[in-house]
Amino acid sequence: MGQNATTPIPRAPEVPRPGAGVFRVLLWLVVLGVIYVYGWQVTQINLGELARKAYLITPLLNDLVRPDLIERRPRLQVADAGIGLDGAPAPAPLETRSPGRITLSPAEATIGARVTVSGEGFEPSRPVELVWFDQSGVKTTLGQGVTDAAGRIQATVTVPNVIGTAHHIMVRVVLEGTTLGPSNTVRLTFFRIVETIFLALMGTTLAVVLAVPLSFLGAKNLMARTPIGTAIYYVIRTVFNIARSIEPLILATVFAVWVGIGPFAGVLALGIHSIASLGKLYSEQIESIDPGPIEAITATGASMLQIVRYAVVPQIVPPFIAFTIYRWDINVRMSTVIGFVGGGGVGFLLMQYINLLQWKQAATAVWAITLVVAAMDYLSAAVREKVV
Amino acid sequence: MRGAAVRVEQLTKIYPDGTRALNDISFSVNPGEFLIIIGLSGSGKSTLMRCINRLVEPTAGKVFVDDVEVTALEPDDLRRMRRQIGMIFQQFNLVKRSPVLTNVLAGRLGYVPPAWALYNYFPRDLREQALRHLTTVGIPEKAHTRADQLSGGQQQRVGIARALMQDPKLILADEPVASLDPATSHSVLRYVEDLNRREGTTVMCSMHFLSLARRYGTRLIALKGGEIVYEGLPVEIDERRFKEIFGEEAVEVEIA
Repeated sequence: MGQNATTPIPRAPEVPRPGAGVFRVLLWLVVLGVIYVYGWQVTQINLGELARKAYLITPLLNDLVRPDLIERRPRLQVADAGIGLDGAPAPAPLETRSPGRITLSPAEATIGARVTVSGEGFEPSRPVELVWFDQSGVKTTLGQGVTDAAGRIQATVTVPNVIGTAHHIMVRVVLEGTTLGPSNTVRLTFFRIVETIFLALMGTTLAVVLAVPLSFLGAKNLMARTPIGTAIYYVIRTVFNIARSIEPLILATVFAVWVGIGPFAGVLALGIHSIASLGKLYSEQIESIDPGPIEAITATGASMLQIVRYAVVPQIVPPFIAFTIYRWDINVRMSTVIGFVGGGGVGFLLMQYINLLQWKQAATAVWAITLVVAAMDYLSAAVREKVV
Repeated sequence: MRGAAVRVEQLTKIYPDGTRALNDISFSVNPGEFLIIIGLSGSGKSTLMRCINRLVEPTAGKVFVDDVEVTALEPDDLRRMRRQIGMIFQQFNLVKRSPVLTNVLAGRLGYVPPAWALYNYFPRDLREQALRHLTTVGIPEKAHTRADQLSGGQQQRVGIARALMQDPKLILADEPVASLDPATSHSVLRYVEDLNRREGTTVMCSMHFLSLARRYGTRLIALKGGEIVYEGLPVEIDERRFKEIFGEEAVEVEIA
């Protein structure tokens, strides 16, 4: 069905005087010039400083490219034996691979009792440390000495005032030479990074649990059918927008005061912020649902549950998952900054290193953050690609 | 399987915004007919189709399918009625992110326990049946492809396979070829025609190409402004009648 319509040829529009256009462009250029000159001054841009003060940053940069990763530690020979208090049986030894071996007599004692520690099979004539290793993992030095020429140890110790019944006495013989291993900074950073990832995970999860139901209330196509629904829609959307506009940094500061400095404050800060951003994304996804499949599945005689499962869920769940993983990725990045204001995680550690001017240690944390963020970025992209 | 008889009595649909989409329409369709409904966009074709299975709730009037008054059915009975009425859509209305096989199996949802949906469970014989229907429409190799990876013609064939899953005694085809090119249109309509000829399934199909209507329809009604302006054999429509239906401006477009 075509149409044979003739449209009148439009008259050419009036050509403006040539001078006016040029004048307007010049005026805009002048205005822009004024804006940028003022901006240059007000932000005190001084490119010369970059070169003149380079000597201040050089040592710092040197440290940043040489992070504290490995350290030399004394080689140790460790052996232990269990000791039972107050009638409890002696627990099994923890370390069994060592060539040295110690025995306790008696192996069952009470607080304040004298226990004889005798051991053999150690390196001869080396310094040795006796340590009480209590049930909760706390180590207390009991005494120090030297192994004899045959590699034996003989000592008498007093059972310290401890809680619990199953403990260990440990012998640590310091050997010649040192070993290379991951530095203490690396271990600390590792634990804090793990904390950061979980901080982001918990914050994101908290947000998902609340954002999913809220997003349905914030979806116009579902809510704007009745006046009450419309009112709820606007309330939810306003809450989302306000919550989203509060920086997680500020939220973290507030929560650090409220629940104390630590990862929990970070979880709450990221959670609140993510509720708003996820809620908005989810709602928009619900709003963009294609009604066609719903109509088609309804027409097959499907029940409400089946319609939701086969026409609604496939349309919203994959994007929900994609948004959520992306948010987790963002939250890992944010949680490092949140640590600076008391939100726990690796950021808190990094801030401490910076405050102590321990740049090599700070470098370790920075590199760890970079690695984890890059890995999360890659992972989340890969998952999103697969899901959507 | 015998096709269904459809009777529409004084059907009227007024939308909340005041649009009168159907105005006191009455007609009937005999079992095994291939009824073509033509008319311009906005003439009420889609509304009429959706009033038959009550995707759109009529304002007044009655619809009977095999002497069961669809317009009087309670929700559960309506679902049992709907599962015998296959529907094919202009935009195919597949669940785009789901595999083709799932889309076809969805046609059977009216017959299976709703709780199965929680596990996305379909018994083996249904899965085999779905694959057979995909073979019927010529795309068995696409069973595990995502629906949105398919071309328009292939998607519409999935839509037909989905309707076949229902063992329908009536097919409502709402402009099934309006989004397809002429060659694909024929291949899609041939599957519908095949179902109509072989199984005796009644077909109500809306379209706006007269050449296709003449080729496939056994009877034709024309809608204009929500009213029936012509009822008769497709071949009887000549240029004068055509202009009556579509207005003086209209020119008939041939589809090879």
